[in-house]
Amino acid sequence: MFNLSRVLITRSTKAPVRAALAQSFPVFARRFNSTNTVNPDSVVFKYSESGPLKVKYTPEHEWIAYHQDGTAFIGITSYAADSLGDATYIELPEITEDSIEQGDTLGSVESVKSASEIYSPVSGIVTEVNEKLHDSPELINEDPMGAGWIVKVKLANEAELDEGALLDTESYQEFLKQDAEEH
Amino acid sequence: MIAFRGSLHKNTVARFYSTASKADLIKTPLYDLHVDYGATIVPYAGFAMPVLYKGQSHIESHKWTRTNAGLFDVSHMLQHKVSGPGATDFLQKITPSDLYSLPPMTGTLSCLLNDNGGIVDDCIINKHGDDSFYIVTNAGCRAGDLAFIEKELSSGAFDSVSHSTFEGALLALQGPKAAQVLQKFTDYDLSSLYFGTSDFVALKGFLPDKVHVSRAGYTGEDGFEISIPVDDAAREFASALLELSDVVKPIGLAARDSLRLEAGMCLYGHEMNEATTPIESSLNWLVGKSRRSDVNGFNGAKKILSQLENPKSVTFKRVGITSKGPSPREGNSVFSFEDPEKRVGVIASGSPSPTLGGNVGQALLDKPFNKIGTKILIEIRGKKREAVVSKMPFVEVKYHRPS
Repeated sequence: MFNLSRVLITRSTKAPVRAALAQSFPVFARRFNSTNTVNPDSVVFKYSESGPLKVKYTPEHEWIAYHQDGTAFIGITSYAADSLGDATYIELPEITEDSIEQGDTLGSVESVKSASEIYSPVSGIVTEVNEKLHDSPELINEDPMGAGWIVKVKLANEAELDEGALLDTESYQEFLKQDAEEH
Repeated sequence: MIAFRGSLHKNTVARFYSTASKADLIKTPLYDLHVDYGATIVPYAGFAMPVLYKGQSHIESHKWTRTNAGLFDVSHMLQHKVSGPGATDFLQKITPSDLYSLPPMTGTLSCLLNDNGGIVDDCIINKHGDDSFYIVTNAGCRAGDLAFIEKELSSGAFDSVSHSTFEGALLALQGPKAAQVLQKFTDYDLSSLYFGTSDFVALKGFLPDKVHVSRAGYTGEDGFEISIPVDDAAREFASALLELSDVVKPIGLAARDSLRLEAGMCLYGHEMNEATTPIESSLNWLVGKSRRSDVNGFNGAKKILSQLENPKSVTFKRVGITSKGPSPREGNSVFSFEDPEKRVGVIASGSPSPTLGGNVGQALLDKPFNKIGTKILIEIRGKKREAVVSKMPFVEVKYHRPS
């Protein structure tokens, strides 16, 4: 899972920068109302004719878009991309035949000020990584829920999408709003 | 990231957060201006400080300063005056600087030393005249520095020395266009004010008294630090600078850090601390030539001079490193390239370099792994990644010096 809190405490550079992300909410509060949805013009949507069957979110700000053939795209939400700032480097997983478990590290997204690991919301096999991110890490900021997708996985168990801590779009927005109020 | 906010006060660098709630944070004289410009405000060293401004990403802020002029609010730093008979001797006891040789209206980087030769804080000392100095120290070290200076002054030997601090606005205008911008506001010929020197300069129409301007900074660019003790005048002056929006933009703490890192400059608490000497921090030049013979000449002199005399007794040094891929970050362990199990040091600061691409950082590395060109491995998120010990500054500094 994409856990900024964990990453920031252990891996960021220094106090002002840590504080920067910690305090970033007011700036992005405007945005979470509108843009944490999959870009309908991107491959993430158009991969299948009718679009993804399900789009889910983790409380750590990853999204997963699941298509009928069992393939899912995974990335980070617009909210998370905004909070991180300019992405400078995306570490992508190697493609192997080994399966990944829910919660395994898929890679990391790095900005000037910090790095954050991306954790898999589901179990399965990584079938493709978004190679464009190597040369164009800025896709994470420009279109985090479209051209900035990070990996494609074949799900081991579709039911995982409806279990545990995964949120639907509405609950994710509600989750962001509640957090804003609490802090 | 929200969870993190709760843990901010518990787990991270507690010394920076002297207050428990945002309401207690100290606002600088420019606070409202930051808010007007859409700043994201963060707690830093007990102050409410801007980290980024609306419409400018971190990288944009960084590059703007390297190509135009960036205005930084550094009012959180602590300004001191030390004067009176014995002031030079006093400062020469607590720092390794040669202040007798320093010409008037000239400044130098220096450091406050404890009895073991460890660095209590780094500072800029400006000499205004015999036994008259203006000093700027770090915001994060305010309490410690004041206690240290008070203790040192109370020894009985310096009763005629007076020490005071003052608040007010301290602005840094940095970048290749800083001089042309500041020149618009004064009849003083800034081309005659060289890097490392300072003067009292009249800012036309802003306040009756001249203000202290030093040609200095923390970015590696040409620039100025301007001390304006009258808050209203400081706000008006900063607003006037920012109205020149084609060349001047406000820049926050985020870019301040990446700029200083590219310039190879130290940040207290990272590259230096109470347990590192200036020699271990690769700041040998802070020890003035005339200060290198008397082992009782300044705090920690015995250790520091012994390290200068016997370089082999120094086991680790501050060095620059460069790498590609994931960025080294503070606290990452460094290992030998040839023997990946052998830990040889730690990263003090690191980040992607907006100017150069790739990553730059500083590390405290055991000898002989500190030699330029040495390949090393840095453990980042569980994997050891290649990097190389590199010369600093990473980005060429562009100071205004006599030609």
